[in-house]
Amino acid sequence: MKVLKIFIILFIVANFSELKSTEANDVLKNKILKNIRCLICQGQSVYDSESEFASSIKLIVDRKINEGLKEKQIYQFLREKYGDWVIFDPQLNKNTYVLWLLPLLLFLFGGAIIYKKIILNKNNKI
Amino acid sequence: MLANQIGHYSLILGLLISILLCGVSIKDFNNTNKQINQNILSLSFLQLVFVIVSFLSLIISFINSDFSNETVFNNSHTTKPLFYKISGTWGNHEGSLLLWLLVLTLFIFLFLIKSREQPKKYRILTLLFQQIIIIGFFLFVLMTSNPFNYLFPIPSEGLGLNPILQDPALAIHPPILYLGYVGTSIIFSSSLAAVAQNYVNKEWGKHIKKWVLVSWIFLTIGIMLGSIWAYYELGWGGFWFWDPVENVSLMPWLTLTALLHCIVVLERRAALTSWVIILSITTFTLSMCGTFLVRSGILNSVHTFANDPARGIFILIFLFALIVLSVGIFFIFHKENNKSSNDFFWLSRETSILINNWFMMYFLSVVLIGTVYPIFLDVISSEKISVGPPFYQKLIVPFLIPFLLFMSLGPRLKWIKSKIENKNSLIITFVISVILTFLIIKNLTTDLLFYTILISAAFFLFFTTLKELFIKKFNNISQTISHFGFSLLILSILFNSILSSEIITNIKIGERYDYNKGEIFFKNIEERKESNFKSIIASFEIKNKNGKTIELNPEIRIYNQPVIITSEADIKTTLLEDKFLVMNLVKGNEYFNIRYQIKPFMVWIWISVLLLSLGGLMSLFKRKI
Repeated sequence: MKVLKIFIILFIVANFSELKSTEANDVLKNKILKNIRCLICQGQSVYDSESEFASSIKLIVDRKINEGLKEKQIYQFLREKYGDWVIFDPQLNKNTYVLWLLPLLLFLFGGAIIYKKIILNKNNKI
Repeated sequence: MLANQIGHYSLILGLLISILLCGVSIKDFNNTNKQINQNILSLSFLQLVFVIVSFLSLIISFINSDFSNETVFNNSHTTKPLFYKISGTWGNHEGSLLLWLLVLTLFIFLFLIKSREQPKKYRILTLLFQQIIIIGFFLFVLMTSNPFNYLFPIPSEGLGLNPILQDPALAIHPPILYLGYVGTSIIFSSSLAAVAQNYVNKEWGKHIKKWVLVSWIFLTIGIMLGSIWAYYELGWGGFWFWDPVENVSLMPWLTLTALLHCIVVLERRAALTSWVIILSITTFTLSMCGTFLVRSGILNSVHTFANDPARGIFILIFLFALIVLSVGIFFIFHKENNKSSNDFFWLSRETSILINNWFMMYFLSVVLIGTVYPIFLDVISSEKISVGPPFYQKLIVPFLIPFLLFMSLGPRLKWIKSKIENKNSLIITFVISVILTFLIIKNLTTDLLFYTILISAAFFLFFTTLKELFIKKFNNISQTISHFGFSLLILSILFNSILSSEIITNIKIGERYDYNKGEIFFKNIEERKESNFKSIIASFEIKNKNGKTIELNPEIRIYNQPVIITSEADIKTTLLEDKFLVMNLVKGNEYFNIRYQIKPFMVWIWISVLLLSLGGLMSLFKRKI
């Protein structure tokens, strides 16, 4: 009975698919704005901010999208203008190798420890 | 005036009692009596009383708007509602540290009362280590951040409290969060004491697990409250921004969760002793680091507190001393127990808990490196980079897939040696999850393959835990409820992020705005005057396709002290979705900028976190392990 209820709810959810905005440009624009740091307010993205700087960036992004630029190209444009600090998604370059790769290395290291602990055990029977 | 004096002297007396307590404890430690000296309990209680008196004095100064007190002058105002005068007590740096002290002294007193069955020497050592932390905090408060600094001439009016902090959720958020944060200090002190006494065993595991659970529950609820506040008060409709301050509270939560799982292995098999101690030390260090990073103003964050480098340096030195002390004790006293209990079979409950810890540590490393790396880079090379949500999503979300799968299978395994039972039903459940996911999201997202796998994994956990709840007649109900809550949390977050939609437009009074799903009608505005702000309340009618109309009344508030304009969102919550409307002034014309968001399953995010904590609460009150 419970399972049936859940299924019914989920099917209702399935019909929400129309919620998706057809205005792909707007969705893209908001996605981009959320990834740009407002240089005036502390720790806010341009999307959240009401400052003059944010309004002008919003206009720039709008224009660039209409010119047909891709997301990455827009970020590149802003990086050249304001420096890496303006984009929340750090690039992979010599400054950020450690940032991107260290967590992954630590993950492998942890996996190795567990692997060792268990493989060693296969040899001696419990 | 008077309250100010009393508060200040209570603090100094509290510090003196710390020193007295250390003396009495050391004397009692070498005493051959079975029982702990009664004076220790009385002194500990007296210390708590002094800190409470001090805390109450500060509250009274706030209530009376006594501007001869610098902290009150900086953070309060006569026109503030009484409730926010009180909550303003801990809505600032000095007061929040006093709250830290209050919880520190409260917890050690409770610990002494609750640990009567434990060995005497272990209890005394725990008290000593805790007093070292308490003395450090007393000195920190008295030397760098005294909440009772005297101002002369006395100002006639205060500077006020930042209005976005004047909110009921945020009023109770710090106390709850600190109960979680500071609870880790007890775990820290007691694990050091246990190491020094060679008492890291099943009994200790059983006894400390309660404290781990208490901290974990408060920390979970505390983080959730902060998140709820950010959701409706910051007016952006987001609930987690990967902001440094949020990350700082998440880090101890990750290690505490790992510790909670690890303790279970300790109390069952007396294994993983070193790892438990390392996790205890790490958890407390992260709580302290959190305080350091937030309070020293090193972080660029939406939480702006006074920046004062002297404070940062003090905490850094203090933290360094604590780490040296704990690592020293660990290396000098810790003895690995006999090897046999550390043997794990590859398919067993222990291994699955190790895997949980492995992922928790990975998530921790992502959050820690993401938060701290930009600071280091800036110091070393003066290069500035921003690490924001995309970074965390890229590194964390893919790893959720194996994590969720392990989480579905792990708790079904037996201790020591196990085999997977009911393979068929698991496979069927998994297939159902995949098909269901595919049907739901097939025309929702561009990244179909990845999301299908991710959401399937979440559904798989959802169904397996649900089945446990109904079939397994409450075998390990607390754990199942927590895990079920977690699956629900991941599902709600994922669907929320995939299905959210928003409309942003400029609109003036009397206008209608048509969008593809319906229309927004801006009826009118009315102005109101409250004690410390003026507000403009708008009334919007939003009609969706099938003719249903709802009314939403977002607000713009203009606070008088300090002069700040805030937007208060209006949110209509139903079980299926939140409708969220916020408006802002547009400079120099009659238009208002509105942002209307539909956020599906928002309420389930909070419900699932409550379920998660409920599981912890049930585990706390469970009789048998």
